[in-house]
Amino acid sequence: MTRAFGAFPELRHPFEVMPIHAAGQATVLYQGKKVTFTETGKGEGLLIKPSDLHSVNGFELKPEGVCCNDICIPLREGLLIEQGGKQWFDLVAFADLLGQPYVVDQASRVWSFAEVPAKRANMMVNAMAPDFEVKDRQGKVIRMADLKGKKALIVTWSSW
Amino acid sequence: MPVWQRVYEELNDPNFVLICVAEDTGGEAVAGPIFDAAKPTYVQVVDEDHLISSVFNFVNVPSSAWIDEEGRIVRIDEGTYSKTHQFGEGDQAFLFGNDVYTPALKDWVKNGAASSHVQSAQIVARNIREHGINEMKADAAFRLGNLFRAHGEKAKAESYWAMARTLNPESINFFRQNLTLTEEGSGGETFRKLRVEYMEQGKDYYRPLDIKAS
Repeated sequence: MTRAFGAFPELRHPFEVMPIHAAGQATVLYQGKKVTFTETGKGEGLLIKPSDLHSVNGFELKPEGVCCNDICIPLREGLLIEQGGKQWFDLVAFADLLGQPYVVDQASRVWSFAEVPAKRANMMVNAMAPDFEVKDRQGKVIRMADLKGKKALIVTWSSW
Repeated sequence: MPVWQRVYEELNDPNFVLICVAEDTGGEAVAGPIFDAAKPTYVQVVDEDHLISSVFNFVNVPSSAWIDEEGRIVRIDEGTYSKTHQFGEGDQAFLFGNDVYTPALKDWVKNGAASSHVQSAQIVARNIREHGINEMKADAAFRLGNLFRAHGEKAKAESYWAMARTLNPESINFFRQNLTLTEEGSGGETFRKLRVEYMEQGKDYYRPLDIKAS
């Protein structure tokens, strides 16, 4: 039988079942990155070690708040949680604070976070291209910042 | 993709970067050979999670953004065809694309801000589609579906892809991407039906191209 245009049914589910992470761990998806936490706190949110925050979204805890580049968000109640003598950062509470949508699969303990809305706000006002980061086919990281000083055409296409 | 390689070679300008991004959950297996056949020298990205469509709020392919030296978008979200193409044959055939986009692009690369094809920040901002909470959540759901697919969890993959489609029904990307993983493919009856529905509702399958033939 001739294959229909743009038909790759064999690619629908070509993979063997394999766990996303070991039992008790948690995984976060954010802007193409996949970060697995070997250690998390207990509770409804996603409690990670404060030192792990940077690996997810570039933010880090500083005396003045939760900061990324020149943005600092003052610490609020519910972001830092003490449990058994350890301090945890609630990534879900932080997303709620930023108005950052997410979808969670609780059974698998995977959180998929959308972009932080504030990072896109400029585009809608002054047409400045938002920062982004993707890898080319050779594995080289392409960032918006790398394109400065040149004209760029970014064009999407697909096999379909 | 060979058509973009030709345009890139014709432009031959070291201060112009062409980034072609394949929005393909099938990944290298489907997009790689098409890229390779074009013998491309431009930047090639296989974007399984449709990150770039999400960055610029695109809902269909091919779509594009022109970005100037300062990082400002000067045109966005148009059906980005480098020439006129025909899809299908006989009664089912229809033409798509145009022959005015490439000359406009070349004019911009040559003349920069002085090009008549450069749009103001106000017009560009108006042309960027709204990407609210539901659409953003749809992106997150789509990526979650892709992760479960990569880990062989069929039921969860299907369920999150369906969630993405429900949360962002305007995304032709999500709709047709899903069709690629069926026997019918992305250009079959389901696609044709959607296209007709779109037009009957007066919606743009692509936003009309605001470039006049010179």
